[in-house]
Amino acid sequence: MNSVRPYCVCVLLLFFVGCANKNQTTTESKAGVVHLTYWPAPNPEEIQLADTLVRQWNRLHPDIQVLMQPIPVSQSTEEVLLAAIAGKTTPDICSNIWPGALHDYTEAGGLVELNKFPDFDSVMAARTPHDLLETFSTDGKYYQVPWKANPVMMFYNIRMFREAGVDSVPRTYSQYFAAAKKITRDTSGDGQIDVWMGERDIRPLWWQRLFDFYPFYIGASSGLTLFRNDSVAFENRYADEVMGFFQQCYAKQYFPHTFFQGGDPFLLQKKATNFSGPWFIATIYKLAPYLRFGVAPLPVPDDHTGPVFTYGNYKNIAIFSTTKHPKEAWQFVKYLISAQHDLLLLKIANQLPVRGDLLTNKLFAEYFRENPLMVKFAEEVPYTRGDDPAPDLKEILDGISQEYEACAVYSKKTPAEAIHDAVKRTKVIVDWNK
Amino acid sequence: MKKRLNIRHAWKQSDKTGFWFVSPYAIFFFLFVAYPLCFSFILIFNRWNIVTPMEWVGLRNFDRMFRDPLFFKSIVNTLVFLLIHIPLQICVALGLSLLLNSKIKMRGFFRAIYFLPVVVSGVVVTILWQQMYSFDDGVLNRLLTLVGLSRIPWIVDPSFAMPSIAIMATWKNVGIYIVLFLVGLQGIPNELYESANIDGANDRQQFWKITLPLLNPTIIVIVVLSTIGGFSLFIEPYVLTGGGPLQSTLSGMLYIYNQAFYFGHMGYAAALGFVFALIILVVVLLQRKLIETEPTS
Amino acid sequence: MKTVTKYFLLLIGMVIFAYPFLWMLSGSLKPELEIGGLGLWSPHFTMAAYKNVLTKIPIIRAFLNSCLVSLSVTASVVVFGSMVGYALAKLHFIGRTALYLLILFTMMIPFQITLIPQYVLMVKLGLVDTYLSLIMPTMMSGFSIILFRQFFMSVPQALIDAARLDGCSDLRILFRLIWPLSRPVIITVAILTFMTSWNDVLWPLIVVRNQSLMTMPQLVTIFVIGGQAEAQLGSLLAAATLLALPVIIAYAFFQRYFIESMASTGLKG
Repeated sequence: MNSVRPYCVCVLLLFFVGCANKNQTTTESKAGVVHLTYWPAPNPEEIQLADTLVRQWNRLHPDIQVLMQPIPVSQSTEEVLLAAIAGKTTPDICSNIWPGALHDYTEAGGLVELNKFPDFDSVMAARTPHDLLETFSTDGKYYQVPWKANPVMMFYNIRMFREAGVDSVPRTYSQYFAAAKKITRDTSGDGQIDVWMGERDIRPLWWQRLFDFYPFYIGASSGLTLFRNDSVAFENRYADEVMGFFQQCYAKQYFPHTFFQGGDPFLLQKKATNFSGPWFIATIYKLAPYLRFGVAPLPVPDDHTGPVFTYGNYKNIAIFSTTKHPKEAWQFVKYLISAQHDLLLLKIANQLPVRGDLLTNKLFAEYFRENPLMVKFAEEVPYTRGDDPAPDLKEILDGISQEYEACAVYSKKTPAEAIHDAVKRTKVIVDWNK
Repeated sequence: MKKRLNIRHAWKQSDKTGFWFVSPYAIFFFLFVAYPLCFSFILIFNRWNIVTPMEWVGLRNFDRMFRDPLFFKSIVNTLVFLLIHIPLQICVALGLSLLLNSKIKMRGFFRAIYFLPVVVSGVVVTILWQQMYSFDDGVLNRLLTLVGLSRIPWIVDPSFAMPSIAIMATWKNVGIYIVLFLVGLQGIPNELYESANIDGANDRQQFWKITLPLLNPTIIVIVVLSTIGGFSLFIEPYVLTGGGPLQSTLSGMLYIYNQAFYFGHMGYAAALGFVFALIILVVVLLQRKLIETEPTS
Repeated sequence: MKTVTKYFLLLIGMVIFAYPFLWMLSGSLKPELEIGGLGLWSPHFTMAAYKNVLTKIPIIRAFLNSCLVSLSVTASVVVFGSMVGYALAKLHFIGRTALYLLILFTMMIPFQITLIPQYVLMVKLGLVDTYLSLIMPTMMSGFSIILFRQFFMSVPQALIDAARLDGCSDLRILFRLIWPLSRPVIITVAILTFMTSWNDVLWPLIVVRNQSLMTMPQLVTIFVIGGQAEAQLGSLLAAATLLALPVIIAYAFFQRYFIESMASTGLKG
């Protein structure tokens, strides 16, 4: 008998281990009550917004209870969602869908086709202009509701500009360099520069390019994106100029070569400009309320004419096909995008709802009167571009990131070489995906 | 007819408990060895991100690999790592084990200290060295400035980063190899040294003529183990540098991980793993051939 | 070489291998501004960094997870490994040599080949984000089977025959008769398995994304690279110290066994 004991212990142990993880949320608990899971983005503002909206919803709809769970911060949303689709553990609704990754989700059959809901067209027509809406369709079908836009613009520190004697906000590359020359300096006298014109994370993280190379490229080219008619189309002078611009920023030490530790240097007033979306306003108000800052379009090449385009950084809402209650989920989505709650999105998260009537609807008028900086972002929305619906866009941006690192940060390549190599790598990825 | 009888006879003779005893392993083998092995042969010819249906692409994964600069970069990086790591490892381990093997007190204590980094997780070691390698206020650069030397951009400069990781890996693993060398040294019969002494050979001659040749098997083991370890290098660059700067610390394993779990390319990652396994095999065989000497009489 | 020189070199080696750990321990206790210094003592020692780590990540839970996973794996490797090793050494069944060669062959397969398919298997079995996915793929190891076999070969056959005559089953022979004789090999296998399992990061990173199931090294890794530490050196060092402590304590007690176990890995080549 004794001889079997270690064996039994082991089997028992494994049994417990197996049972220990059965605590998954069940969809139905009480009869008649539908339970939905909703994943918002994990930043504090959006969690607060989601929390407010979900509480109110649960009060109003005792029969459809929504559970709010922010996407785990440990990995990128795309990684988490792809893993969740693979493991069939997706939520019912997620409001942090990056259109650049939509292709992977739809290929996998992970998303519900929203245009099948009878009132989809009317709901969307009332909110988003038709032409803009169409840019979010996949072969005429809609798997996402365009929810919010964050046009990338240039934030600048008014005090730092004034102290350095920069009178006007730079509009072109040469004006930017001229201002940078005055601003970048060593204030403590230890021989090391400690105040910069700008700063970018020098690690080659693909999504960082969505806030420097990509919006600048859209700006320089007046609205071109990486692809045209499904083929790679960024080996051109605009891309070279943008890469050259960043190379200059690093070569002339207007941007630091080190990795910043201990908080955002713009908030610490160590850099004078920052390229970001309107949500950054909320961050400033929260972490550095004393900071005086302005917002302007991104710098463009000297010979640029016409309006300055930029990247819209759209984040959308989707319903996952694992849902057992598509109708109720759609009801909740409509609730999220109603005019009232779009106003909350503005107020709590400082992000722009993708609506045609932002600047005309009386509902928003008071908000924009109180937040004049947000008007600048709202005015920029018509000149935004989104993400190419190409498969593996993430890896393509990763390739561009590596060239950015080699060319801009370390000056190991000329801009033309870097763009050429990025295009070459992109083509390998595109070919492989055919 | 006779053969069949033999089989039946053998079956009768065979110990049934034996089957019973190895049955757990059989299940394990099929699930975690045979199935993955077979499946990887299918996977390398497919494009698949786990969630979409698998798509047969023939040799396209390999075609992509040979046009993929990062694949070549990761091989070069691994070779750079091994070229620094292996000689350094052998020199340090041999030196310390020779010291430990002589008549000294507290041998066990010293050995225990040198072995300490081996038992600690690679994550701890990496966090620790991340601080020590820090350019502005790391321990190493402080020491350098203390003795009047200029600071070294350990992990921020592309040409220093991989050597820095190799040094760190040596620090972590050298304890194992000290122990292996000690085992090897204790296996050398004392009479050899005694007769060499009579012949008038000095310490240096004894080292080159007796110690080193007789440690050859140990050295082969160390080289092979370090090579396999080098091709599995993952957590150190993952935590310390993320593969940068300029991809100079992108190891093979890190690239496979990125392709599989960052970009979701299971098929391509499997193909990379397959090719890396082949490379390991070839390198290890080559090493054996090169280092193995005829057993000295 | 003079004895003094020898001791001097050995001491330098000792400083190189031990100082970083002491520096880590002292750095985790120092206030943030003093950490960069080379000295190990500070009059301002504080537990702030540990408090910070404990509030930010569920590291106690991760410690228990790691214990559960590593202990299960170790128990399984020792129990099943010794069974297979016993069968290979002492039981005569068809295919014994073939199985032995097969196990030797599996030890030569680089894990680069099997890693991705094993993950796929976990996904297919629906085991991603469970303890089972952390335990199952390492429940047996060819190397420990070989170690057991080698050791059991030296057990006199007469002993086993005598026990059989007394009517003992093979299970009883293995666990009651041979196990007590095999303490060295069991300890070796247990220590090697436990250490490998405890220190593994790659596999947990792949199959577990749920924070409450993460193992300790995995959680600390994500704490470091995920930016949750917010570049506070003290917190990083405190997390590293917490991660290192259990192993160092175990090492302090079983130091000899640790080193002897590792020496046996040399056979692997």
